[in-house]
This record gives sequence, structure tokens and C-alpha cells, in this order.
Amino acid sequence: MDIKITQGMTIKEKLGILSDAAKYDVACTSSGVDRKGDGKGIGNATAGGICHSFAADGRCISLLKILFTNECIYDCKYCLNRKSNDVPRASFTPDEVCELTMEFYRRNYIEGLFLSSGILYSPNYTMELIYQTIYQLRTRHNFQGYIHVKAIPGADATLIQKTGMLADRMSVNLELPTAEGLRTLAPNKHRKNILAPMRQIQTGITESRHDLMIYQHAPKFVPAGQSTQMIIGATPESDYQIMAVAENLYQKFDLKRVFYSAFVHVNEDKDLPALPGGPPLLREHRLYQADWLLRFYGFKAEELLNEEKPNFNILLDPKCDWALRHLEYFPMEINRIDYQMMLRIPGIGVKSAQRIVKARRMAKLDFSDLKRIGVVLKRALYFITCNGRMMYQTRIEEDYITRNLLNIKEKLPFQTNGMTYKQLSLFDDKNFDAEPTIIDSQQAAMGQL
Amino acid sequence: MVIIMTMEKTILICEDSIEGVFSGIYEAYARKYVHSQTSLQIGATENYELFAEYKQIAAEEEKAKKVSRTIIREFGEETYLTFCEALATQDLEKGNAIYHVLVDGLRTKNNRIMENFAVADVNKVFELCRYTKNEIQHLKGFLRFQELEKGVLFARIGPRNNILTFLAPHFADRLPNENFIIYDDTRNLCVVHPCQKEWFLMSADNLQEEETRNYSQVEVAYQELFTFFCQKIGIRERKNIALQTQMLPLHFQKYMSEFNDKVYK
Ligand code: SF4
Repeated sequence: MDIKITQGMTIKEKLGILSDAAKYDVACTSSGVDRKGDGKGIGNATAGGICHSFAADGRCISLLKILFTNECIYDCKYCLNRKSNDVPRASFTPDEVCELTMEFYRRNYIEGLFLSSGILYSPNYTMELIYQTIYQLRTRHNFQGYIHVKAIPGADATLIQKTGMLADRMSVNLELPTAEGLRTLAPNKHRKNILAPMRQIQTGITESRHDLMIYQHAPKFVPAGQSTQMIIGATPESDYQIMAVAENLYQKFDLKRVFYSAFVHVNEDKDLPALPGGPPLLREHRLYQADWLLRFYGFKAEELLNEEKPNFNILLDPKCDWALRHLEYFPMEINRIDYQMMLRIPGIGVKSAQRIVKARRMAKLDFSDLKRIGVVLKRALYFITCNGRMMYQTRIEEDYITRNLLNIKEKLPFQTNGMTYKQLSLFDDKNFDAEPTIIDSQQAAMGQL
Repeated sequence: MVIIMTMEKTILICEDSIEGVFSGIYEAYARKYVHSQTSLQIGATENYELFAEYKQIAAEEEKAKKVSRTIIREFGEETYLTFCEALATQDLEKGNAIYHVLVDGLRTKNNRIMENFAVADVNKVFELCRYTKNEIQHLKGFLRFQELEKGVLFARIGPRNNILTFLAPHFADRLPNENFIIYDDTRNLCVVHPCQKEWFLMSADNLQEEETRNYSQVEVAYQELFTFFCQKIGIRERKNIALQTQMLPLHFQKYMSEFNDKVYK
């Protein structure tokens, strides 16, 4: 296999160029699959994922996140690697990627590999290289750690299928929330070419699950599920449009995660917004909060936003914001309200709600119990009663509560790379030791817990 | 004349270990103490309470095992693990809290005792267990192996809780073909895993400091590569050291090769 130029570059130089080029990809969790080692090879995986380090931007480092090559035949306007940019180019060989992965993994630097790539020659050529690399890792090196690879839009379905049998997670980047945005900023990409592999992976996952029910040892296709990401703030979509797209992806494509990436201005181009305030981090943060509400709290996009109110409140998180606009539901009686509704109370997260449901089977709960359970009372107190009583005499009145909630300073970490516990803490759930499992969220959705 | 009998408190002094605490619990039952008047204490105190009877309880494997079996039978493996994790902390109230959770659970025949969060002791045990669990979770990621001569992987950690035995199974499953050592330098203990064999715990008295610095030829190069990677992967426009330190506290960074020369802050 011949690979362009990079002879004479050291592995360090390549790593520098190709990790630098991969850093804007935010989907770097190592979660979604539990796998024990087989006792012969190397590696295992845990469903919650593991953070191995944190970069200076506060984002978790979990996988060796690199591009295979930053050569690219396309010219997406937001991307540093676009064809028309004059930047240093490099390509790894499959052996080099294997060596780095194995040596980093043994030293416990990483949970596995995240391999993306610019388009070298053609989508097929690139996908084949990615496939070869992870084939080597899984077979020759007997690597059982986590592998996340990109499916390259436009590559043959058989290649994507083969790759999916070896990877834990696959993702196809939506890039921009709407087809129109894509047309302006990524002229070589087409919405339908992006959705086609997404659909294929979805079908593959469903079939594989079905096979597993019949034959216990059927090989697994993309067992940690599929994710995608979109760039926020490069094109003029509203938060409502973005959330509607995300909801659609969760429902129609069974995506495991949608990631939002605040646009970082790297190229001068008349079609790109200037963003003098830097990347829109607060907006990205609100989108992650809302995403969390969709996945684990049983909210629907149109409950949070609508045509008249298409963007999130800058001052309040989307859950508080919803509660304030729906005071007719409050106060809720903690000893009676069902789990599903409880999740809508500001200051109560998934874990606290689960603990409340368990604990109230044994005794009637009062405010001190809630405190011990991890409910953030300073937020929840406006919305709940215990045994018919509110914590203090308070008015249930939008202005009054809003003022009080705004006095509680919201923690804004701007750490939104998708690592789980941080996001739970956004909802003041002190019990952020684990991501709610899929089962939890399904049960949450059906109000079973 | 009426003699008022005040019920005397009994305080059982136990060793700071799972075995020690479980032996204490065993004795509390065996000697039929009134549980509400009895408490378990880890290690000797400086302040002796008046009107309290102090009993030193020796750790005995057999007794501890009986208590373990009872816990597993009555409350299940998960609760047992929760207790063990709580006991890995340095909190001195841990033994007493577990003792009273157990008494409560057995008295009310509640096999889901750890779900009764309204009980203060249950909460205490839960908090402690979570504290340990968080540290285990952190170190599964933050622990760094360094390759020594002859290919042995060596990791040094300074955990707040006694978690070596919780970490070992994870790494043994992950790296079955490696000879590795994880060394807890606050407790001077280490876990040793020989390639394709069972791991074991031992005192680190014989560990030679120089030997642990005797890196293999390629080791430094990989440390540099990873440090370099960590620098490159951060997005400059989003720089946020406060967040980095919040997510990865300095007491962990101290042991991590990529932070040794502080180059990437
Ligand atoms: S396809 Fe577009 S986004 Fe991807 S590397 Fe090439 S130019 Fe960049």
C-alpha cells in the first residue's frame, strides 16, 4: 500500500500533526460496552468508560484520538485540513498506529483508539486503510480494548460492514445540523451520503442484536453503538432546529450519542462567522444539558423549545427554564409523585430520584432525608412538598422563583466532551458516579422505576 | 433505697481492617451485647468516655468469615462489597456505621437495607463506599505503568483509600500477559501480577527504590510521546486549567508521567 509523502518524518512528528488535526472531534468517550479480557490477549472494556487524563482545556483524554492522515481531497470551509489550506501533512502507516495504541495501552495511558481520517485519494481507499489498521490490532495484536472509528461517507457498504465487525463504536459526522448548512460550508459533502452509512450501521446493529439472541456467540457489530457530532455556531440554525435534529437522530437512527462541538474559527473564509467572543461554549453547554434531558429525563425537544422560543435561556439551565414555564405542575409531593414526573423537578437528578423511589417504600421522607439522599434543596424547595408541607413559606410565582434561582450561581464548567459524570453534575445531582444505563433511561421513559 | 442502674455503654476496639471490624461485629453478637448501647471503634482512643466499658477485640479470620457469610446470605454480594469498600476508607466511624446498619437489617429482616437512605448509618456507609468507588474509578484511568528493564510494568500510586485489592482484578483482566506491580506508597503495600498467573498482595518492604527507576530503553520515549499527545489534543481556544485541575486533582497528577515536567499547562 503506498502512502503519500511522509517518509522521513519521525513518529513524534506524525503524532503531533495527526493528533492536532483530530482534536476538534469531540466524540471521544470510551463508553457503551462491557467486555472482559479473554485471558490471552490484551485489553477489556467497561460500559461507563474511563478517563485517563485531562487536557489543558479540561476535556477528558480517554482514547488515542488521531487522524490516519490529514491529507484530504475535500475542501470543507471550517476544517484546517481542507485541500486548499497550506498545512503540514502526514500519514501514519497501520503498523505505526498499532504500535502507538499497544504501547500507550500497556502503560494505561488510554482506553483504546479513536481513528478518524481525512480523505486520501478516495473514500474507499481511506476506509480500507482504517479497516486494515484495526484488523491488525484485533488479530495480530489481539487487542480487546476500545476502538472507535469513523465510517467515511461514500465508502462501500461492504467495507463499512467489515469494519463494524471489529470496532466497538462507529460514527459518521453529521457535520452541520441542516442540509443547507452543509451545502454552504462543505460543498463536497451531501446529506444523503452521510445518512446512508448511518442507516447502514443502524441496521447492522439491530441485526447483530437479533443474531445474538439466537446464537450466543455471534460476532458483534458495533456493540457500543453509533454516535455523531455537529458543529454549533458556524451556520445560523436555532437551538430548536438543532434539538429537533438530535431528537430525530435518537429516534430514527437509534444513535447512542449526539455530540455538539462549538465552532472554533481556524480558517479565514467569508462564509464563516467571525465569533469575536471565541467558540460559543455556553450555547454548546445548554445543548448538552438539553440532550441529557432528552435521553435520560423523558423530555421532548418541543417541550423545551418551539418556534416562538427557538433558543435556550442563557441564564437558566433548560430544566429550570421548563419548570418555571410550567408552574401549574408544582409543587409536587415527593412521597407520591411518580418517578417520571420527579425527574422534572429542578435539583433532583436521575440518581436521587432512584434513591427517593427506593427509600420512600420504607418510610415517609422529609426534607432532611432528601438532603441526605443528595437532592439540591436550594433549587428543589420551590417545587416540592414533603408530607404536604413546603420547606419554607414560598410563593409559587414565576418572577419570584426566577429571581431566587438566579441567585444560586450555576456552575458552568464548559466541559462538554461527553464524559459522563460531569454532565450529571450539571443537574446538581451529587451522586454522579455513573451514567444512567440504557435500561434506566428506557425505564425512565416508561415511568417504570 | 432505689438503686438506679444505668445501662453501661460498651465500646469494642477493633483493628483497622475488614477482618478486624467483622471480628468486632461477631463478638458483639456472640457476647450478646445490647446493640443500642454498643459501638465499634477503630484503633485505640485518646479520650476515654466515662461510664463506658472498653473491650479490645482481636481480628480472627474464622470469625470474620462467619460474619462475611452472614452478610452475603442475608443481604447479597452487592451489600457485602459495599461494606468492604466502605472499610477501605480511613474514616474512623466506618466500623460502627456498618455494625449498626447490619443490626438494623437483621432486626427488621430487611434484605435491602442499603436502600433505606433515610437511616443515617446507611447514608454514612453509602457515602464512604462512594468515596472509595470514586477513587477506584479514578485510578483505573490515572494510574501509569512505567516499563522497567526486563519488561516489568511498574505503577506507583498514593491513594487515600486502601484500594489495591480493588484495582488488581481490573488490571489482571486487562493485562494478563504482563508482569506488573502496583505499589501503594502511602501504605507500603504492593500487588504483584506475574504473567498468566494470579495476582497477590504483599508488603513492599523489599522494593528497592532504584530498581523502580530503572526504565527500559524505550520507556522515556513513550512517556514523551504521550506527553506530547496530551499537549496537542487540547484546544487552545478552550483552555481551562481550573477545570483540568478540578477533574484531575493535583494529588493524582503528582504520580502521572505526563504531568512531571508540567509542560502542557
Ligand atoms: S472531509 Fe472535510 S472535514 Fe474531513 S478532513 Fe477533509 S476537509 Fe476536513
